[in-house]
Amino acid sequence: MFSLLLGELLTKYNLAIVLSIENLSKKYGSLKAVDQLTLQVEEGSIYGLLGPNGSGKTTTLGMVLDVIRPGDGSFSWFGNGISKETKQRVGALLETPNFYPYLSAKQNLQVVADIKGADYSNINKMLDLVGLGSRGNSAFKGFSLGMKQRLALAAAMLNDPEVLVLDEPTNGLDPQGIAEVRDLILRIAAQGKTIILASHLLDEVEKVCTHVAVLQNGKLLASGPVADILAANENVLISTPDTERALALLAHLPYVANFRREKEFIILTLQEGYNSTDINRDMFAQNIVLSQLIVRRKSLEAQFLEIINTESK
Amino acid sequence: MNLLRIEFRKIFPYRTFWAILGIYTLLLILIVYASSNITINGQTMGSSTYQFPGIWQRLTFIASYFNLLLGILIIVLVSDEYSFRTFRQQVIDGLSRTELVKAKFYVVLAIASFSTIFLLALGLYFGLLYSATKGFETVVSQIDFLSYYFVQSVAYMVLALFFCILIRKSGLAIIAFIAYAKIIEPLLHFGLDDKLDKFLPMKVLSSLTPMPGQEMLDQLTTPTDMLTPQWAVLPALVYTGLLLLFSYLILKMRDL
Repeated sequence: MFSLLLGELLTKYNLAIVLSIENLSKKYGSLKAVDQLTLQVEEGSIYGLLGPNGSGKTTTLGMVLDVIRPGDGSFSWFGNGISKETKQRVGALLETPNFYPYLSAKQNLQVVADIKGADYSNINKMLDLVGLGSRGNSAFKGFSLGMKQRLALAAAMLNDPEVLVLDEPTNGLDPQGIAEVRDLILRIAAQGKTIILASHLLDEVEKVCTHVAVLQNGKLLASGPVADILAANENVLISTPDTERALALLAHLPYVANFRREKEFIILTLQEGYNSTDINRDMFAQNIVLSQLIVRRKSLEAQFLEIINTESK
Repeated sequence: MNLLRIEFRKIFPYRTFWAILGIYTLLLILIVYASSNITINGQTMGSSTYQFPGIWQRLTFIASYFNLLLGILIIVLVSDEYSFRTFRQQVIDGLSRTELVKAKFYVVLAIASFSTIFLLALGLYFGLLYSATKGFETVVSQIDFLSYYFVQSVAYMVLALFFCILIRKSGLAIIAFIAYAKIIEPLLHFGLDDKLDKFLPMKVLSSLTPMPGQEMLDQLTTPTDMLTPQWAVLPALVYTGLLLLFSYLILKMRDL
């Protein structure tokens, strides 16, 4: 009785971590495509793998999806190795939508349904969900890239898996298509499903994900909740009639990470734990009156470059 | 059987598949029909080609040349899986690499069954139409050649499967397949003693459907040492098994 309870507890604990990757590495010749990657994806999160092209995102996903042989290291799904059972709990779209061009959308999904053991009735449901309900009988080869991408999403979701792995799902889509796919991802996530999303678009990761891992040259540069990784370090813009005195004061304030003058503004970055209130108070204490105080978040690109530059130093 | 059902779902709507299979059946009918007009030593073969029970050996011997076409069909089907990246997607969706090979092997068995049954129909049609003796005993007495043909066509297609999994590109795989079957191994036969080369794969496979009248030729020239069809079955099955194993190992060692 007790051991049964313990087992249940353990199962529950294991369920909390959907995907665990440990020291995963892959070499192509002398190129380290993935280098000692370690990360964990929790149940219910939308986990973004962020990195420029060629940073090892697809290779990483290929390894955990059983199509690329890991060079070194290990991974587990739901606490187990990869098997037919674990694969049926994971729906995935890797790199490109892969279908038989001469088969119709429906026929293609039937093949997928047979492999996944999914109910045929899901086929029409999923086609409707991704907006291909009226094109079910058209051949795949006639589809636009956006339609192919959406069919791949339908295929990934066909047996209602707990986890969705999406590699660049908005690649090649027009703005409306991108918005639709993102909306779809958020709707799926709202059902409590875990989503692992690889993307080179910061904006996408920031809009969609709860957690993020930043990759470059196969190395993990940073990982954690999106708010911590991407939104830290705001810029504060101030302007004052007394610019010279303000600059002198800023040089003495310990919590100002750096500052520079730009036209009538002084732009400064604060260390963690401080915000614009501290600046305003200290300036006022020195009888410097600010005419403007603006908090501006750094552009995502700037943050991204900063993460990459700091880590590679 | 689920695997075979999945394969049929992909193959049946595929026009290329039917085109190649259509060419195979048409050419075979044409050749068998025309073979009665072949003239040897100023004597037209006539209906003697269709006499039971010799027709089974003659039919399977003719059909053995068309195994190349069946091999090409397999290469087309398998190389598609690479170029459409559907091998990769199927592994992501839940199949194992063993199942990828198994599924294709089932297709091979299905096609070999089709062509064997087709030969049976062809033999019965021409035989019952033209043969002088039509007694049941005579008709079935050498029908076991059909089973040797089945083993042979399976082995040919598995060889094609192996080359395609090894090379991945259809054009190159077809060239390698034909080059091995028709050029490389025959060249090896020259360099090797008959005692050895009768165990080489292509020689074993052709021993399954020996040339009609080979005994007569042997009396005129130096006899070639070949296995009897009965004895060739075992090595043919061993080669088939090994090629399937190698195909699996290649898939297992490579990234998809």
